[in-house]
Amino acid sequence: MKNLYLISFLFGLMLNAEPNKESTLPNLSFKLLDGSKISLDELLQDGPALIDFWATWCAPCKKEMIHLERFQQKYSKDGFKILAISTDTPRSMSKVKSYIRSKKYSFKVALDPNQQIAQKFNATLLPTAILINKNREIVWFHQGYIPGDEVEIEKQILAVLNNKTTEDTSE
Amino acid sequence: MKFLLVSISLFSFIFGQVSFTGNVVSSMGESRNGYYYNESLINTQIQFGRFNNWLQFEFSDPPELGREYNGLRKLRLEYLNGPLQIKLGDMYEIWGRGLILNSLDDQSIDRDSGIRGIGIVYETDAFNIHFLSGQSDYSMSTIYSPGYNSRTPNYTTTHNLYGVHTEWQLDSHLAGLTFLQSKEAHPVNTFPEDTLDIKNRLLGAHYIYNNSLIDVYVEYVKNWSTLLNEENDGFTNYLDGRALYGNVNLYFSLFSLNLEYINYRFGTLDPLNRWNNVDNYGIIQHFQNPPISGVIGSTTLINRTSHQTDFNNEVGYKLEILGSIRDDFEYYGFISRSSRSNTWFINNEFEWEKEGQPVILPQTDPAANPYKAYYGEISGYLFDYTLHTQIGYSYSEDMIDLAYYSKTDTSKNMNYTYQSAKTIPLHTSFTFSNGWSIEAKIETQWLKKGIWRFEELNGNIIADSLISEFLDVNENPIGFQQNTFMSISVGKSPNWTMAFTLDKISTTEPSFGLDQKDDSSNSLESLLGLNMDQNWANIEFVYNVTSSFRLSLMYGSLKGGLLCANGVCRIIEPFENGFKMGITAAF
Repeated sequence: MKNLYLISFLFGLMLNAEPNKESTLPNLSFKLLDGSKISLDELLQDGPALIDFWATWCAPCKKEMIHLERFQQKYSKDGFKILAISTDTPRSMSKVKSYIRSKKYSFKVALDPNQQIAQKFNATLLPTAILINKNREIVWFHQGYIPGDEVEIEKQILAVLNNKTTEDTSE
Repeated sequence: MKFLLVSISLFSFIFGQVSFTGNVVSSMGESRNGYYYNESLINTQIQFGRFNNWLQFEFSDPPELGREYNGLRKLRLEYLNGPLQIKLGDMYEIWGRGLILNSLDDQSIDRDSGIRGIGIVYETDAFNIHFLSGQSDYSMSTIYSPGYNSRTPNYTTTHNLYGVHTEWQLDSHLAGLTFLQSKEAHPVNTFPEDTLDIKNRLLGAHYIYNNSLIDVYVEYVKNWSTLLNEENDGFTNYLDGRALYGNVNLYFSLFSLNLEYINYRFGTLDPLNRWNNVDNYGIIQHFQNPPISGVIGSTTLINRTSHQTDFNNEVGYKLEILGSIRDDFEYYGFISRSSRSNTWFINNEFEWEKEGQPVILPQTDPAANPYKAYYGEISGYLFDYTLHTQIGYSYSEDMIDLAYYSKTDTSKNMNYTYQSAKTIPLHTSFTFSNGWSIEAKIETQWLKKGIWRFEELNGNIIADSLISEFLDVNENPIGFQQNTFMSISVGKSPNWTMAFTLDKISTTEPSFGLDQKDDSSNSLESLLGLNMDQNWANIEFVYNVTSSFRLSLMYGSLKGGLLCANGVCRIIEPFENGFKMGITAAF
C-alpha cells in the first residue's frame, strides 16, 4: 500500500512539479569567500538574482559559470546579480577562491560546506540554478546543465527583468 | 522528540503563515545478478516566521546501500532571530576544516554521521560561538565484525556528544578554539558479546589569515580517550594522539599556488590492525572527517584508483597550481605525496614493531606505505565557446598495505600490496546553435596491481618484483590491465540527453567476493559483439519533464569496484543486465 501512495505522490509531482512560486524565501544569510556576509535582502536590493549551486569538482557547473559571468556583466546595469554558492567540503574548499580568481569572475561567491543552504533551497543536483525576484520569490528553478541551457537561462533572466521593469513603471 | 517536532510542524502548517517547499529523490533498479533496490527520499521545508522545519521521509525496500527504512528518517526545527540560532533535531555541522567535527550524510557511500540533539549558535561579525549536545549512531559495513555485507551495515557505535566551538575575528585575522567530548558505546568482538564504555575528548585551536595575495589556515588538535574501568567504576587512561593541518594559498595575477599539509596521528595502529576500528578504539571517530593530502579523482577511472587516507596515521602534502592562459583556456595540476609517520617491521617475537622517530614529511620506504600522485590538465573553448576540450594525464603509485616485513643484519624480506596507474582522460563537446549538443568522454588507463615481493640477502637483491593479480585468457599473470571508459552522449537543451557508456577491461580480475558477471551478456553487449566478462555497456536517457523535474532511465550493466566520495572509499557491487530509474524533483 505504501508503494501505491508513493507512486501516486510521484505521479502527482510529475504533473505539477515546479517550485512553489507563492512561497517567500526567508531572509537567509550567506557567508562569502572573503569572510563577510550578505543577506538575501541585500542581494536583491537592486533587482532579481540568480543563485547557482556548484562545486570545483563539478565539470558541468564550470561550463555553466562561463555563461553566468556573461549574464552578470550584461545585466548588472539592470540590477541583476549572480550569487554562486560553492558546496565544496573541507576536502576541496581551498580551491574555490583560486578557481574564481583564475577565471576573473566578478560575481559574488558564497560557501556552503555542509550543504545546509542547498538543502533549504532544495538543490539536490549540481548545478542548480534558482532565479529569485525582488520579493524573495522563486520564479524559476533549473537542475543540471546541458550545453545550450544558457539560452533558456538568459530567456528566464530577461523575463524576470521585464517583469521588474513593468512593476517599477506601475509603481 | 520525533513526536514533539512533528506536532509543532503540523500545528504551524495548519494554523500559521507558512511556506512549504520540498524535493523528492527516488531511485529504483533491478539486475540479473539480484541487485534490487527501491528507495525514495522526500525532503520538506516548512518556513513559518522565524522558524524553519526540515523533515526527511525515507521509503526503501531495500535502499541501494544501507538498511531498509520506512518513515520519518530525519527532522530538524530551527529558530533564527538575528545573531541567535537554535537547532533541535538532526544536525550536520562542520567546525573548522573538520578535524574535530565534520558530520555529513553521504547517500552515495551510505555514510551518515549526523547528530540528533540541540545546537545553539550565537554569531556576530567579530565573534561566534556554537554549542552542541546530542547523540550520534553510526553504522557501517566492515569485515572486522560478523555478518559482513557490502550493501548493509553490520556494525554500529553510539556516541553521546557535547562540544563548543568559538571564533574571534580581528581585521584579516581569525582565531578559534574547539572542544568536543563523546561518551561512546563501542561493541567489540568478544565472546560473550561486550560493549565498552569509552570517553573521547578532542581539543583544538585554529588560526586563519586572509588577504588578496595570501590565505593561511592552520589547525592543531589533541585527542584523549579513556576506558571505563568496571572494577573501580572510573575512567582509566588509554590513548592519546594529535593532528596538524595547514593550508597556504598564494594568489598571482593569472594563477594561484595552493599548498596543503597534513600530519595526523590520532592513533597509530600496526599494519595488521590498520583498518580495524572494531577491535581498536580511542582512534579517529566517525564524526571527524579531516582534509586529505591527495585528491579524490573526478573521472571514473581515476576515482577507482583513489588513495584511501589513513586518518589515524598519515603525513603528507599536496601542491596545486591553477590558472588561466586566456579567458577561455585554463590549466590545473597537482603533486601529492603521503606515507605513515613510521616504518614497521616484524620483530623476533613475531609482532609488528614501529621503527624510528615519527617523521614530519612523507617517506619513500615501502614499510611506511608511501603514496604519490601527479596530475596535469588543460581545458578550454574554441569557436566562440561552442567547442570544449579537456585533456589530462594522471599517475599514481600506492603501496597500500604492508603484509610482511622481517629483517636481520644480513637479510630483508618484505611483501606489500601495490597499485600504480597511468590514466589519460579526454573529454570534448560541441554545442550547435539550435540547442543540440554532442559530447564524448574517453579515458584510458594502464593499471598495475598485486603483491610486491622484495628480498635481500648479504647485500644481494634476490627478488624485487610485482606478482600481478591480473590474468590473461590462459589464466597466467599479466603485467598490467588496460582499462577504457567511453561515453558518447547527444542532448537537446533544455529537454533531454541520451548517453551510451562502455566500461572495458583487458584482463580478468579477482572478484573480492563480489558476484562480477553472470553467464549472460546484456542485449547491448550482444548487439555490439562484446566479450561479456570484460565489458559493461549501458544506455541512459535523461528527460527534464519540467525545469525542476528530472527523470532518468538506464538499461545495461555497470562495473562494480571502488567508489570514493568525501575522502572515504567503499567497494560497490556491480550491476549486471538490468534497469534503473531515477527521479529528482523540487516542489
